[in-house]
Amino acid sequence: MTGIADTLSTFVGGRARESGPSSKADMMTKAVVIVVAGLLLIYILLPVFWMLKSSFQTSFDIRQMPPQWIPSSFTLSAYNDAGVLIPIWRYLFNSTLVSLVASVVATAMAATAAYVLSRFRFPGATTILTLILVTQLIPPITRVFPIYSIIQDLHLLNTYTGVIIAYVGFSLPFAVLLLRGYFQSSCPPELAEAAMVDGCGYFSAFWRVVLPVSAPGIAAVGIFTFLNAWNDFLWASLLVSSGEMKTIQVGIGDFASEGGGITYVNAFMAACVLATVPALIMFIFMQRWLVSGLTAGSVKN
Amino acid sequence: MKRQQRIFCYLMVAPALLFTIVLGIYPMLASLQMSFLEFDLIRVREHGTPFVGLRNYITVMQDERFVQTVINTVLFTAIAVSTVVAMGLLFSQLLSANFRGRTFVRMLVCVPWFVPPVVAAAIWMWLLNTDRSPINFLLREWGWIDTNIKFLTDKNTWGPFSIPMLSVAAVRVWNGLPFVVIFLLAGLQSIPRDLYEAAEVDGATLLQKFRYITLPLLRPVLVVLLILLTMTGLGHFEINFIMTGGGPQNLTNIMAVYSYNEAFTFFRFDTGSAASGLILILTGIICVFYIRSQAKAVGP
Repeated sequence: MTGIADTLSTFVGGRARESGPSSKADMMTKAVVIVVAGLLLIYILLPVFWMLKSSFQTSFDIRQMPPQWIPSSFTLSAYNDAGVLIPIWRYLFNSTLVSLVASVVATAMAATAAYVLSRFRFPGATTILTLILVTQLIPPITRVFPIYSIIQDLHLLNTYTGVIIAYVGFSLPFAVLLLRGYFQSSCPPELAEAAMVDGCGYFSAFWRVVLPVSAPGIAAVGIFTFLNAWNDFLWASLLVSSGEMKTIQVGIGDFASEGGGITYVNAFMAACVLATVPALIMFIFMQRWLVSGLTAGSVKN
Repeated sequence: MKRQQRIFCYLMVAPALLFTIVLGIYPMLASLQMSFLEFDLIRVREHGTPFVGLRNYITVMQDERFVQTVINTVLFTAIAVSTVVAMGLLFSQLLSANFRGRTFVRMLVCVPWFVPPVVAAAIWMWLLNTDRSPINFLLREWGWIDTNIKFLTDKNTWGPFSIPMLSVAAVRVWNGLPFVVIFLLAGLQSIPRDLYEAAEVDGATLLQKFRYITLPLLRPVLVVLLILLTMTGLGHFEINFIMTGGGPQNLTNIMAVYSYNEAFTFFRFDTGSAASGLILILTGIICVFYIRSQAKAVGP
């Protein structure tokens, strides 16, 4: 019961207080906030519950009216169907491959750039940073057509290479900005300076001292760029639109536009679950770190 | 020594700079240039791409559907941004208080974050299916409605507003909420605790503390957040494209979807890039203001 009392007394602003007069107005405020937040939690969670529930139902059960809130029988047949109707496993493989390669390449490039941009003053640094910021802030739709032409001219449409190039370009600015904040806040300049006093050059100080120390931040940014690529629909829908080469997001999008989302709802929802799981796993990995480190840096900058 | 340091800096920054220019800055400018050419993919072989000045912009501006699309884009952004920030404020306030199960509630609020936008659109399409929606079922059960709400297909309008517009906006809010909550939580951490304690001594109510301490001190963070959300909102693509493709009757069409369809359905790269050029101009103006304000905040 103390749990509820705590909740009520320490709800909005301020920290836990053992006692203290709580005015009537405050009780009202708290009650309203709790009710509204409760309703909003239903709005947040219902779709995810509905996806999971639907993916375990048979195509007969899923059409029952009134809808079954708790499925009368659990079956994995929808996941099997998803593999047949949408070549889901192949698409998952494609997505994993391109996201992984793009994430490694983008993070590596971002780490070197972010390090010098966070540590040294050199002519052009501000301009470079501004260009990167502008690329990050302006929505990608304003540059898809020329990039489509570039990839087409390089004969890289419907290849992994083509979409990986696009993803590196797409994720790089964000990765640079995040890592720059990270280097500034979590990697003291004295470290590299000490290494250089010991005889390291600029690069070996970066490679042997800064990189190992910053591994957690770099890993988190790597996960971020992976998710960026994994979640993308726009680039993949243009660059890998045919048959076997589609990513999972394009596979799901196309299945929806072909009407499969209505005819084979349970398989559709199973595909959605499978497209979400990798993101979920990565999210759990980085959740703690996210709230403390990265966002603090990005707010400051 | 100084020279060596410079060479090191340029070498380290070169790959990222190259990619940013080739895949970021150059395509933006090339896209803008494309919007001043005639660029019909079907006729480009024999016709080439002659310069036509502002003709593409005039063409799209004279298209009633595009004018409606611009209005929709602004309304979508306004609805989604204001709603998501209001909800974000509520949850970030709630989650910055100490109570048992806080970590668990924070995790629940963050659930939509790991749902890719395409999947978010897909789930909601099923959840909002007119005949099978559990929401419609409950509303009928409670006697609030007589006929099912056509969440994504109702063609009735109230001015520029319609049910499909609100439905799609709700999905965008759903998908964007966790980011806003986390962003605001980080901002709340920067407000000194003793301010609240002093206010409590003076007998301030919760609402007064929120109104006179939290909101003013959160202002810089809120401004940054509003700018970021407005820019992504104006260029938003996925959820509208997957859920409705702009329909019914253009009611949920937005500029990015219009631009994409012009180019890849009708092969008109010129009008397509004119539509996206407008997004570039709008977000570019906001971007300049943003960078200026940031530079002022950081600089001497």
